[in-house]
Amino acid sequence: MSTASEPAAAGHAATEPSAAPQAGAVKLTMILSGAVFALMMVFGLIMRAAQGQWIELDPALFYQILTAHGAGMVGTAALSGAAILWYFSGRHVVLTAGIYWAFLGLFLLGVVLILGAIFVGGYGGAWTFLFPLPALSGGAWEAGAAAAFMLGYVSIGVGFLLYYLELGRQIHARYGSLARALGWNLILGREDKNPPPPTIVAAAAVTIFNSIGIILGAAVLVASLVHLLVPGFEVDALLAKNLIYFFGHVFINASIYMAVTAVYEILPEYTGRPWKSNRLFAIAWNAVLIFVMAVYWHHLLQDVVMPPWMLVVGQLVSYFSGIPLIAVTAFSTFLYVRGSKMTWDLASSLLVLSVAGWSVGSIPASIDGMISVNKVMHNTMWVPGHFHTYLLLGEVAMAFGFMAWLVRGKTISQMGGLDRAAFATYLAGAAGFVTVFLFSGAASIPRRWAVHYEEWLTHDRIGTLFSVLVVLGTLIFVLRFVARLGRSEG
Amino acid sequence: MLVRALPSVLAAVIGGGVLWQATDGAQAFTSEAARRLDVVRAPRAVPAVQLEDMAGRQVPLLPQAGEVVLVEFIYTVCGDICQIAAADFAEIRDRLQARGLRVRLLSVSFDPVRDTPEQMAIYGDAHDADGAMWTVARPLQQDLPDLLELFDVTVIPDEWGGYQHNAAIHVITSDGRFSAVYDTDAVEAVLAYAGGGQP
Amino acid sequence: MRMICLALLAFAEAVALREAAVASPVQHVLVQMPLLVLAGFMAAWDLKIPRGWAVPLLLAALTVFLFWMLPRNVDWALSPAGETAKYITLPLLLGLPLRLSWPWLGPILRGFLKANALSMLGVLGFLYTHAPVRICNSYLVSAQHDLGFAFLYLAAALACLWAIPVLFGHPRRGPLGAAGCSRCGA
Ligand code: HEM
Ligand SMILES: [Cu+2]
Repeated sequence: MSTASEPAAAGHAATEPSAAPQAGAVKLTMILSGAVFALMMVFGLIMRAAQGQWIELDPALFYQILTAHGAGMVGTAALSGAAILWYFSGRHVVLTAGIYWAFLGLFLLGVVLILGAIFVGGYGGAWTFLFPLPALSGGAWEAGAAAAFMLGYVSIGVGFLLYYLELGRQIHARYGSLARALGWNLILGREDKNPPPPTIVAAAAVTIFNSIGIILGAAVLVASLVHLLVPGFEVDALLAKNLIYFFGHVFINASIYMAVTAVYEILPEYTGRPWKSNRLFAIAWNAVLIFVMAVYWHHLLQDVVMPPWMLVVGQLVSYFSGIPLIAVTAFSTFLYVRGSKMTWDLASSLLVLSVAGWSVGSIPASIDGMISVNKVMHNTMWVPGHFHTYLLLGEVAMAFGFMAWLVRGKTISQMGGLDRAAFATYLAGAAGFVTVFLFSGAASIPRRWAVHYEEWLTHDRIGTLFSVLVVLGTLIFVLRFVARLGRSEG
Repeated sequence: MLVRALPSVLAAVIGGGVLWQATDGAQAFTSEAARRLDVVRAPRAVPAVQLEDMAGRQVPLLPQAGEVVLVEFIYTVCGDICQIAAADFAEIRDRLQARGLRVRLLSVSFDPVRDTPEQMAIYGDAHDADGAMWTVARPLQQDLPDLLELFDVTVIPDEWGGYQHNAAIHVITSDGRFSAVYDTDAVEAVLAYAGGGQP
Repeated sequence: MRMICLALLAFAEAVALREAAVASPVQHVLVQMPLLVLAGFMAAWDLKIPRGWAVPLLLAALTVFLFWMLPRNVDWALSPAGETAKYITLPLLLGLPLRLSWPWLGPILRGFLKANALSMLGVLGFLYTHAPVRICNSYLVSAQHDLGFAFLYLAAALACLWAIPVLFGHPRRGPLGAAGCSRCGA
């Protein structure tokens, strides 16, 4: 399926320096990510158990936890994805360490502000800070808490902006233009002596769409802040909603598109075949670049005031959004894995699982994107069902796979008993957990309800049991990572 | 190291200070907010101007014998704000009357050429301003610029031969000073303020 | 010398727009004020400063920029005192220091400033197109809306201007970090 006939040896040699620069910073990031993932999963578990009425939870606290879980998970997914992308981009371009530390520092500052806003200030307006909710707390929180929450976002956004400026700059310096880094030469059939490797194609695409997301996101954040602090200034609510979902959607998608570089760079070590960019691959990524920015429209299918053409396009785009890329990635993974005698250790298993989970997760997303279905499903558990699938079984699995790979040791060997058990627990738990969400959605159980009716409790309780498994699996992954990190570095 | 950072730190501090000053401590970003803040901090003495009301009588702008005067600037053929504001003004009048407070309400026209007493009477009728507690009045053309300046009211002609203007309720306290500005619909706040100084 | 003439030209043009600035905020904020900044920018074209001055001067420029962005100062700029202040500070304390510090700013900082400029234009567009109150007392609500849209169009234009060289490579120059004014750098 390859159309590229570039000198493979030369291209490959450049991608093989032994030690990645800034590995220490990346490992630190992964410890943080692992710990926060685990903590936020416990929050998720608490919410699920509260919905199932196994524990008592004050609804106000439920919404604070929901906000923390949403913002924390999205932030951590993005953080771990960014660490992975930085690590592997460092194999192809020279990146400045200072920028990464600034990024990490701003990120943590943002986390502090957000946690303070939620648990000190009582902010519970959900991670989407949908205008004008932050300003209408009904006394549950002060304007200051909502402002701190948004300032936390701003800080994280600035960190990411610096990150992408550096990444984009170095890619630009090495490849002359982002268009070339996106593989346009491959697409147009032009000769390119040094075609961009998959990681660089991904990096270029994410740099572009996430920078746009951040710039627009910053605009709506600051406008909301002005509205919050200087009453009298108003914001067009529909435009704000559009921008917020644009930003949120692009940002969470970017986390997967960054993390997937782990698959591109690590699996070849197991299969023995380098993963190279070819025409189809480049086309898929360029398509994603466009689609990812239009797909958020499926969140607005119920806003009758939206221009109809946007909704129709949103529906179409939803069908096709991830498909080209997921198809290419999944198909290639399948080909690579099938033809090789690959060793199934924890890293490779998690990475292959992540590709599968990501692909499967896109199916319920497309279903939700159909206007007819959306009218019924949109505010049901179907929605958390679809994104938990591609996050829990996709992005998070990629991150855990990357972590396992970082501490894989000198030789690759088959999974031991504990690894096997952890993997099975995680897989079973996550699969069961998201299936329950999807079933609940199909049964019209609404999302974001702190208190559930009697009829729904069975769903919630089964979901809770599965979440316990996910938490267990995660704890083993993270502890194993930390333990081995300590061992390998003395 | 420290010495090299000093000019930057200094510049940042000065810059922050300038902006802090320029926004009255991050409180006022628009000229409307700025004027409201300024009036509260430094009430302005109101001159003894006579107005002509809808019956052609002379009425003083200044409070008489311990009363409080509430002033709105309007023009009678206004299509939007002045009409809505008048409804709130009427409510304020009714509630003040019920509480027996000594307050006078004035709707002052900033278009004295077109707003003749007859014209003002039409506006008064429409909003139930009977000339007792609340009347509509116009200044002499020559007094107008000073009045607008004193109250910081900006009037600009719009596309349809009318005006756009900052609408608000201006409070003149019994000591003859213009000392507060409220939104035209801030009924409760005005009642509290106007009633505050009196039994 | 040529640059000084251009600077004077820009200044003269700005003064010529006095009347228009009273009538329309777009002319005021997006034509006259930028012309004044341009005048200072051009006047300093051939001047050089030591590196240590770059950041303080940039901060000074940012302060002045933010000062004139405040709606109340847009109103004030139409009064005699404010007008004088505008004619003096925009060229001398914004255009000039910006030009002097720009060559010293690293690509990341430049990119950051540009991205911020786009975001802030977006915010302004957001607020001005939808404010239920008049933000500037000196202008009609409809003019205020026009200004909001003008901010958005400007943001779109700048985004294209800055993104195209990064996306497709510099037409004449070799690869360079941040796009835009690379010629006036170094
Ligand atoms: C053990 C694992 C997890 C559990 C038990 C869990 C549980 C939950 C629950 C109960 C909700 C609220 C559902 C509702 O609307 O009623 C929720 C929402 C959410 N979860 Fe998770 N979750 C887990 C993992 C994750 C992961 C890994 C991510 C992302 C990387 C994630 C992201 C989100 C987001 C973005 C929301 C939406 C918040 C909102 O509606 O504002 N979750 N989760
Ligand atoms: Cu009016």
